[in-house]
Amino acid sequence: MTGRVVLAAAASAGLALLANGVGERWFEDVTARAGITHQHTNREFKNPYAHIMAGYTALGAAVAVADYNGDGFDDFFVTDSAEGGKNRLYRNNGDFTFTDVAEAAGLAAGNDAQNASADALWFDFNNDQRPDLLVIRFGQNQLFENLGNGKFRDVTRTSGMLGYKNAITAVAFDYDRDGWVDVFVGSYFQPVNVFNPETPRFFPESFETANNGGGVTVYRNNGDGTFTDTTEQAGFRLTGWTLDMGHADADNDGDEDLYVACDFGTDRFFVNNGDGTFTDITEKAIGIDTKKGMNVDWGDFDGDGLLDIYVTNITDDYMREGNFLWRNNGDLSFADVSRETDTYNTGWGWCAKFFDYDNDGWQDLYVVNGWVSAGKESYVPDIFEMITRPNIELADARNWPPMGSKSLSGYQKKRLFHNEGGAGFKDHAARHGVDSVRDGRGIGVADFDNDGRLDMYVANANAEPYFYRNTLPPGRNWVQFLLGSPKANRFAIGAQVRLTSGGRTQLSFVNGGNGFAAQSTNRVHFGLGKNEKIDQVEIRWPSGAKQTLENLPPNRIYRVLEGKPKAEILIAKASQK
Amino acid sequence: MRQARLLVCAWALAGVGASGATLADLDRYEAALAKNADDLRAGSEYRQAVIQLKQYDRCIKFFEELVAKSPQAANAYLNYGFAYVDKIPDAGAITQVILANTALSHFSKSIELRPSWIALYTRGNSYLYWPKIFGKAPLGVKDLEEAMKMQKQDKLRSYHVRAYISLGDGYWKMDDLEKARAVWQEGAKLFPNEPRLKDRLSRSGEELAKYIDETLDPNKRVDTNLHELWEDQ
Repeated sequence: MTGRVVLAAAASAGLALLANGVGERWFEDVTARAGITHQHTNREFKNPYAHIMAGYTALGAAVAVADYNGDGFDDFFVTDSAEGGKNRLYRNNGDFTFTDVAEAAGLAAGNDAQNASADALWFDFNNDQRPDLLVIRFGQNQLFENLGNGKFRDVTRTSGMLGYKNAITAVAFDYDRDGWVDVFVGSYFQPVNVFNPETPRFFPESFETANNGGGVTVYRNNGDGTFTDTTEQAGFRLTGWTLDMGHADADNDGDEDLYVACDFGTDRFFVNNGDGTFTDITEKAIGIDTKKGMNVDWGDFDGDGLLDIYVTNITDDYMREGNFLWRNNGDLSFADVSRETDTYNTGWGWCAKFFDYDNDGWQDLYVVNGWVSAGKESYVPDIFEMITRPNIELADARNWPPMGSKSLSGYQKKRLFHNEGGAGFKDHAARHGVDSVRDGRGIGVADFDNDGRLDMYVANANAEPYFYRNTLPPGRNWVQFLLGSPKANRFAIGAQVRLTSGGRTQLSFVNGGNGFAAQSTNRVHFGLGKNEKIDQVEIRWPSGAKQTLENLPPNRIYRVLEGKPKAEILIAKASQK
Repeated sequence: MRQARLLVCAWALAGVGASGATLADLDRYEAALAKNADDLRAGSEYRQAVIQLKQYDRCIKFFEELVAKSPQAANAYLNYGFAYVDKIPDAGAITQVILANTALSHFSKSIELRPSWIALYTRGNSYLYWPKIFGKAPLGVKDLEEAMKMQKQDKLRSYHVRAYISLGDGYWKMDDLEKARAVWQEGAKLFPNEPRLKDRLSRSGEELAKYIDETLDPNKRVDTNLHELWEDQ
């Protein structure tokens, strides 16, 4: 009798597994089929410290997603870093194939002897409803105005953004709520010429408390095509080795706060005072850490209506920092729940993105990792020989051992953390075939074929990228919103959307480029699971105005404009193009 | 073991409560150690008070000066090494390595002066916390085998279980699972209720790897309170 019950239970469990599609692969590698043929190449420096720098600059593989031509399909820009290497603008053909149009657009030339591309950011600096492009570089950044005819114009010089930044990241949001998107640039090295340094003392002075990095620069948008450096006035006096920044409204007070992740030292948390200034409340918000912050992404992983933060650090046999999953306490303080949620150890972490890949209504998390995957020999003993040498001057590049062909935290498997109803995460990367061992850097998430399933582009350092098409079986509902604001910044960066369906309210928002070396779509996506009814959608616009939409059918992409009572259907299916 | 017993001070210092250490307690212990640098118990209790008060740098400086004044005090060197170990969980990942490395050099000095069971066990166990790539596990096993020889010539004491646990861990780190299990089983016969041995013996493969990995996590505080030594005389 007991045996029969067990068998029946097993059979019914098996049916349930099949119904849920457990065991099936929901991502397909379509890189080559999509027409993505390039590979990223690291910069090789030509200076007396080149052999040292080679090991520490395996960076610059980035992806930035935007619908630059307004055809309703997300396109993307990717960076190379080699001298003479071309950056790419992949125009979406609407059928999950892409064409590189960077040369024609005037965006290909981003890497010369004095500049190496590190990241890219789309944002509409002149409120003409066309995404413009900032190419973030070791050396000097480039700002390109989107002319709307498939071409871009370099406006760096006239914009007020020209200058040595050695930047590695940037985010754009309207910090002073004047209707114009401002730019926060994060710099790794201090503003020296890293291509021809005049001194060898430009490396981090400490592994845990380094304050000789490039910090953060705030560019306030003047609304006339120019920017003013307002770093000091805004309250930023940072000299850390910035690797990433992420903004969101942490306390739901209507303005955007900022998390700054720093290599070799303390991450910083800035609360927006609502008057064009910020206050550094690191100690209260997150405490003082000594880790290697790599990535910042915000998402409400536990569905409590507060945006949480995921930060990657370094975790390996020789350095067990652990990541941070900062659960928002609602009072501008955060508690790290990475251990409890099994998101603590992802190796040498880089970009991580919250998104709902299985449309079950919970924010999942994809994390890429790995520093240098090269020869069999490990670089770890070399670096620790240096670290334990008495009175070592770390700022002097000459004291650092060359990496040569050795590996450091290489060949690490990527993680796709499935959100288990807000209580924790389980790694499903192997199941879905997204556990590659290339040295991942950036993740661009978007619904490239407008089918309601979020796809991923992964930028790898010194390697080919991965382009994963989401093939989730039918049966789960979804909805997407592309927001526009004729009154405030045109792409409504900072707008929050609260969607109620099936008795639950989900929170998401329009972000201006969160995540290391990666910008995802500016659409807001919600998985709805089996729910076929959306009870209510509340949008809180950057202006502070609130708008409620009711009885929207699911499985559509809506365009919503601030002040307009009805949502328009943007484009339903790829086949309609 | 008689040697270790003799080294435990006859000093009758009032202990410090679990949560009640004060700076005055530190003054008192420092004064006691200044009179007898080799007092293992005073040094151990001093460090437990230091941990409560997070006065790690004061403690390190104190022992630095103490061993300079009493260069033959093997137990002062042992406590000096522990002072670095005590600071590890509160340090960053890189500083942890520097602290651990410095601690090892003081444990070695202690062994050089007097190769006691506690010093050999301590250094041997410390080597096991190092990542595999540094190849320190064989050094740890060598020390722990030596400590095992010493304890087998002594009467069975409650703290001897530690050597069975750590030596097994050492063999495991050297990928010799057979020897690891044999030494854990030998320990389990002598200490049948010891949960740490049961935990190891009931696991295998990935599960055992995860368990030992978590046990040897430098972010977790290692219990460096040596009270077992004088509680089982």
